[in-house]
This record gives sequence, structure tokens and C-alpha cells, in this order.
Amino acid sequence: MSKKISGKNLENNSTSKIKKESTARFNFPFMDYIKPVALVAGLIVVAFLSVIMSKGFVYGIDFAGGIEMQVQFDKPVEVAKVRSFTEDMGYKGASVQAIGEDNEYLIRLESLKGANEKETNDMINAMIGKVTTGLGASFQESSPKVRRVDSVGPQIGDELKKNGLLSVLYSLLMILVYVGLRFDYKYAPGAVFCLFHDAIITLGVYALFGREVNVQTMAAILTIIGYSLNDTIVTFDRIRENREKYKHANFKELINISINETLSRTLLTSVTTLLAVLAMYFLAGGVIKDFAFTLAIGVVVGTFSSIYIASPLVLFADYIQNKKEGAKA
Amino acid sequence: MNLKGRWITIAIVLIAAIISIYPNLVDLTTQEQKVTINDAGESITETVTANKHWWPTKNKIVYGLDIQGGLHLVLGVDVEDVMVEKTKRLAGSVTTDLKGKELGHINVTVSEENPLFMNFNTSKPTDEASVSKFIEDFYPATLQVIETLPNKIVVQYYQSKADEYKKQVIGQAIEVIRNRIDEFGVTEPSITAQGSDRILVQLPGIKDSARAKDLINKTARLNFRVVSVKMPGDQVFELVQKAETDGKFKLGFKDGGEGGNLAYSKYVKEVNKVVEKDLPQSTRIVFEKVDGAKTLVDGKRPYLIDTSSSLSGDLLEDANVGVDQYGKPEVTFRFSIEGRRKFADLSEQAIGGQLAIVLDDVVKSAPSVSARIDSDSARITLGSGGSYQDTYDEAQLIATSLRAGALPAALQQLEERTVGPTLGADSIRRGKLAGMVGLGLVLIFMLFYYRRLGVVACTSLVFNIILILAVLTMLGATLTLPGVAGIILTIGMAVDANVIIFERIKEELSKGSGIALSVKNGFDFALSAILDANITTAAVCVVLMYFGTGPIRGFAVTLLAGIVTSMFTSIFVSRTIIEWSIVKRGLKKI
Repeated sequence: MSKKISGKNLENNSTSKIKKESTARFNFPFMDYIKPVALVAGLIVVAFLSVIMSKGFVYGIDFAGGIEMQVQFDKPVEVAKVRSFTEDMGYKGASVQAIGEDNEYLIRLESLKGANEKETNDMINAMIGKVTTGLGASFQESSPKVRRVDSVGPQIGDELKKNGLLSVLYSLLMILVYVGLRFDYKYAPGAVFCLFHDAIITLGVYALFGREVNVQTMAAILTIIGYSLNDTIVTFDRIRENREKYKHANFKELINISINETLSRTLLTSVTTLLAVLAMYFLAGGVIKDFAFTLAIGVVVGTFSSIYIASPLVLFADYIQNKKEGAKA
Repeated sequence: MNLKGRWITIAIVLIAAIISIYPNLVDLTTQEQKVTINDAGESITETVTANKHWWPTKNKIVYGLDIQGGLHLVLGVDVEDVMVEKTKRLAGSVTTDLKGKELGHINVTVSEENPLFMNFNTSKPTDEASVSKFIEDFYPATLQVIETLPNKIVVQYYQSKADEYKKQVIGQAIEVIRNRIDEFGVTEPSITAQGSDRILVQLPGIKDSARAKDLINKTARLNFRVVSVKMPGDQVFELVQKAETDGKFKLGFKDGGEGGNLAYSKYVKEVNKVVEKDLPQSTRIVFEKVDGAKTLVDGKRPYLIDTSSSLSGDLLEDANVGVDQYGKPEVTFRFSIEGRRKFADLSEQAIGGQLAIVLDDVVKSAPSVSARIDSDSARITLGSGGSYQDTYDEAQLIATSLRAGALPAALQQLEERTVGPTLGADSIRRGKLAGMVGLGLVLIFMLFYYRRLGVVACTSLVFNIILILAVLTMLGATLTLPGVAGIILTIGMAVDANVIIFERIKEELSKGSGIALSVKNGFDFALSAILDANITTAAVCVVLMYFGTGPIRGFAVTLLAGIVTSMFTSIFVSRTIIEWSIVKRGLKKI
């Protein structure tokens, strides 16, 4: 199989040379399992894609428009009671969610669509007042406290959506340009597929659990894309370095050794990042916890993808190129 | 650089960082209430911030609204609507001006598609040239003739003029909001224009956000009122004091609290209620902020105004700041036909006295009147005290208030984010805890895994965190909750550079190189990987800083600061420590 890919005559001598000189403490034959792993990874991506397609996202009010209120009672109040309260107010589509342990609830009301933007805005603003006074009257004995109100009208919602999309596009563009300039174009498809893999799985988890997608989610996903790319680039960097040193080595083996050489670093950094992220997830609340959730998935998925997706694709690109050159000759 | 030079660099950076962080940890200032008397003999309460002891920097990390609690509002201003009204009025006054000329009937209309265009329809075909000339002569920097057709002349605002008018609309809306929220005594309110038709209001630490919102969303009410002479000024002053003692309340920033504080709008109502029977018929007490006072609570001057007659703002056409023949700023304003009639009456009543300009129960200015004014326009000349800039600013303020009454801009709330004070305090407390625990875990892990090198990594990590905080402080950055997440994430990610280097050193060692060479090669070879990896994350941060909203921008800023500082600590600081250990302490093994 290796002969098919490289096709260079000197390979056997050089292979032993790189193997002999390699200082990697690990020697996992990652590249021997490309096919089954790629298949599984492909299936997972397809599965998550179909989850996204079929279930869709629950958009936070940043994107959907509407109001979100965080209410705390000083005595235990059942979720069902809060729910029936919102229904009594006439807001059927309201979602009520318990957060924390302190009788705290998140009430989310998507905006009712008015005839025009102005009307919708007015309706949203009226909703805040109505719910606040309604809460005070209906739960008098447990003295409700509105701790946070977020309301987003249609114009702002559209803008946040637009800016969110633009920030994703520009980030990807900048990353691609950088990778393209810094490395061979052969490395680019690996980096790009990695990004899609990470983004789709993370978003898929959101769709699967019905977690709210909001402005923070976008920022967190961009961050893990940056993080996963760190891993990928460190491995690429090593592949490039080894390639210069061992010009005639079997490329597949060279990649495998490069992955092994950088493996300890990849895992160590994932562990320290995960430690910090888990501390955030379990100890902090609100926005920080949401961030941590996305980041935790991203760290795990990103570590995997930079080992098993990015590097094999470099090999594949090399294979295609050699084939073309072979055809020309 | 030799070792000594590097240690000195590190020491300087560390000292600078600690100096800059210090004001965050220790409150350097004390606040005192200082009462001063101004030239007019009125007392002004001032909150004076004094330093406890000298320190080179006073910058502190500012907490975002999501941490300190407060109100964030985005208001849409209907600029277009005001422009239509403004153009209509201008069309009206041009029509009046043209009547004096010996021309046929000319009909001026505002274009329906675009309020910046006017059409002049002439009845006599020979009039076009004279109308064009008239516009060019009398409205030189304002109006521009676009097209002359038979019986029709199309006129447009100069772009710069239209932009200026639109800016004025936003400016007056901001002034109206400022006038109202003054009574909440928010220490650092921020009311700024956002784009061409929005206002961003940020009131950190405000408790009564519901009432603040109500006040902000009300339409402005501007009136000219005669200052009553039925009672001398000192007697009005005494009445106010009597009202405060009898009613057991005083002016404060919010209702309730010790001493029975009342916020301004309620305070005015209460004062008038308590002393109602002592007041002459159909009069009312309102207040003006005295010169030099920041808010009405700091210093106020009572006025007794006559409520029997008034001229409301909608009868004004427009107001502007101009200069008189001596080059001194003055305020000029024009009336509608009905306004002119009413103002003639009002000025007659006020002869020898004052006419107060009252915006939402606050007196903005009370110029004195010496004669009956029966004219399309009037002007307010300002006293000669104070610098030119002060006078100009005052003129601006009065003109803006007048315009707010003349052309009230409808506001619409587009976005609201209210955070209660307890929630923010809770979040930051838990965020700090998560940061500490995260840091502890990473430190323990690094020590456990790398032993001696771990000490180096931990030193540079702690150093890194000090530097991040110092950089954020120096930038005067706003720390938001996502920003806190950014710092904690940096704690986990910043050791990456060290890990890359250490792993490389280990590799070099296992090749059989000596320790000094391994360290040198380790750092040199690792550099490109570290740079590449950090630049991509930095690129994402830059994009987020540009497109993100407030909190997200905070995340990008802290993450970016962390990336930059971690490069310094993990490359420069750890290398210095390791090389020092080898050279001076004879370290043989890592």
C-alpha cells in the first residue's frame, strides 16, 4: 500500500532512518487505522448533520427576538406553577426552565410577531411590564425577584444574526489565508475539514439536547475552532519539519511518526485546558457555564480531529498530487 | 541579552504589572461631601474624591453591566420623521419669504419619497430663475438647486447640512434623556449615539430600572413660562425648606432610604403638594441646577412659575446657536404663526421679569425680558460671565432643549438588558472561584507531570495571570462575564507554549544532546509552532472584537491579552529561569 502512495525508490532506507532517529515516546500506528476511523468519523458527522437538519436549533432570544427573564423566589415554587402562570398570562409558547438550586427560573418568551417592526418592539416591551407585575401578584407569598431581563427586538436580532454569521465567515477566511500562506496548499483541506468536523459535532450536540444557540455559542465555537487549529498546526509544523529532514521517507510513516512525536503535547494541553474548562463548568454559572459546555466538547472533538482528520487528509492530498504527476509523466 | 539583562527586564515588567494592578486591590480614594457657595450665594454639594496616598496610576478594571448590574438600553430614534417635519417647516418659511417678492403663486412641497428634497412649483414660467437665485442667495449653505424644469424647481439639502441636522436630532434626544436620568444620580451614565439613528443608554448600578425606563421613554415636554413675581425669591426658598421639614423628605437619587429621599420628579410633586395653600394662585415651584453643580441634588435653585399661561415647545419651529454682532454666542429660535402670537402675550406679561424655559419640570434657563417681543423669531443673549467655551456650551444646551420641544423625536426601545445587582455579584464570585480552582488544578497537574520543569511552568503561568490583569487594567478594559471565561480559558491554554517547549527539550535530550544545547534547541525549534498556533487564535479574537457585541468583545479582549502575555512569559521568562538554573545552579537533569 505504501508503494502506491509514495512510489519513490529510496524509501526503505530512509524509513529506517527516520524511525531510528525519532525520539517519540509513543509509537501508535495511527495511520494503519485511517479507513475504519475515517468511516466512523464520517458516520458521526453525518449523524449529527441529520440531527441538526431534523431537529433544528433552539435559538436564544439574541437571534429569535423576545424576552428572557431570570426570576428568583425566596420559597420553593414548582415549575408547573410558573408554567401555568405564563399560560395564564396568555403566552403559550413560553419556556420555563429551572436553573441552579435556589428556586430560580428562566422564563423565555419568543416575540409575538406584530404587523411591523415597531409593533413587535412595542409588544416585547409591553411583555416585560406585564410579566413583571403579573409575577408580583401571582406569587406574592414567595416574593419573586426579577434578577435579569433581556429583551431583543427584531432589528437588533437581525443585526446580531448578521454579525454572528459575518464573524464566522471572516474568522474562517483569516484562518484559511494564514494556513495557506504559512503551509503548503496540501495542508489546507485537512485544516478545513477539521474545522467543519468540530463545528458540526458541537452544533449537533446543541441540536440534540435542545440547548439554546446564542451569541455566546458562536463566540465559543469560533474559539474551539481556533483551539483545534492549534493542535492541527502543531502537528503540521512537525510534519513539515520532518519532511525537510527526511526528504525521501515514506510519507505515511513520516506522518505517523510526526503525530506520535507531538502526541504528548497534544494530550497534555488538552488536559490542562479541560481542567480549566471543567472548573468553569462546575463552579461558575450563567454565561460562563454555557461557554464552558461548548469549550469542553470542542476540546475533546478538536483533539481527536487534529489527530485523525487533519493529518490523513494531508496524506490524501499528497496521494492525489502524486497520481496527477504520475499521469502527466 | 545576557542573563542579568533578562532578569532586569523581567523585574521591571513584574514591578510595572504590580503597580498597575494595585489600585484594583486597594481602594486608593476616599469620597467626601464638600459644600461650597457659588457667586450667587447658593450652596453646591460636591462629592470630592481624594487620594489616600500617592500612587502612579489610578486606572482600575471596570466591571461590565453584566457584573455590576444595571440597565442597558438601545433606543431607536425616528430621525426620518423629524427630518420630514423640519423640511415641512422650512418649506413653510420659504413660502412666506417668497410672498414678499413680486412673483406668481409658488407652491412648495416636500418630496414624498425623500424628506431631503423640496419641489417648488411656479405658476408663472418666468419665475424659475428668480426662485433659483433667491434660494442661492438666502439659503447658501443649506439648500442646493438640483434641477430647473418648466414650472418646477427641485431643491435639496446640502449633504453636510442634512447630516448636521440628523446629528442634531440625535443630540437633542440624548439631551432629553440626560435631563431625565440626572435625577437617578448614576455615577457614570453613558448615553451615546450609536450609528446614525440609535442611542445606547448604559446606567451601571441603577436599582430602579423600571422607573428609569419609563422616564426615558416619555416624550419631551418643553414650555416657556413666566416666572411669577407674586412672591419674592427668598420667600420661595423658605417655602421649599418648610416643605422639606413638614413633609419629612428631601431630594435624593431614589425614593425611600434614610431621611425620606425622593427622586426629583416625585420631589417636585411633593414640594408643591405640601405648600400648596401657601402658594399664590396658579403657581408652581420648579428647580434649576445651579452653575457648577453636577446634579440637582448637588445644588438647586427654586423658581416660582406662573402656570396660567405658557408657550409649549410644539409652537417653536426651530432653534439654533448663532453669534451676535460682538461674536458672542446666542440662541436664536423661530415660532410658528400661533407661537408668535402666544409669545407676544407671554413676553408682555414677563416684562421686567424672567421667562423660564422648562424641560420636563427642570428649568434650563430663565432669561430676563425687557420688552414685548412680537416677531417671527427671538434670541437669547447670554451673560458675559465665564469663558467663551462655557458660554457656547450653555447656548448649545439651551438650543438643544428648545429643539427637543420643537421637534420631539419619537424613541423606540429596541433592546434591553437589565441585570440586578445581586446576580452580577453572584456571577463574579462564582467566576473567581472557578478561576482559582482551575488555576490550582492546572498548577498541580503541571507540577506532578513535569516536576522541576513544572515549577518553571507554574511560575510563568502565575506571572502570566498577573500580566493579563495588568494589561486589562492599563487598557481600562471592561471586564464582562465572557471576559472572565476568557481569562480562565487562558489559564488552561497558556501552558501550551511551555508544554510545546518542554516536550521539545525532552526530545532533544533523548537524542543525546547536552542539557544546555537541548534547552537552546528546544526553545528555538518550538518557536514556529508556538507562533503559528497563537496567531490563528489571535485572528479569531480580532474578528470577534470587531463583530461582537459588548460582552463578547470582552471575551475577545481578555483572550487576546492572554495570548500576547503568555508568549512573553512562556518564551522569555521560562527560558531565563531554566538557563539560569543551568548556568548558575548547575542544573544537570530536567
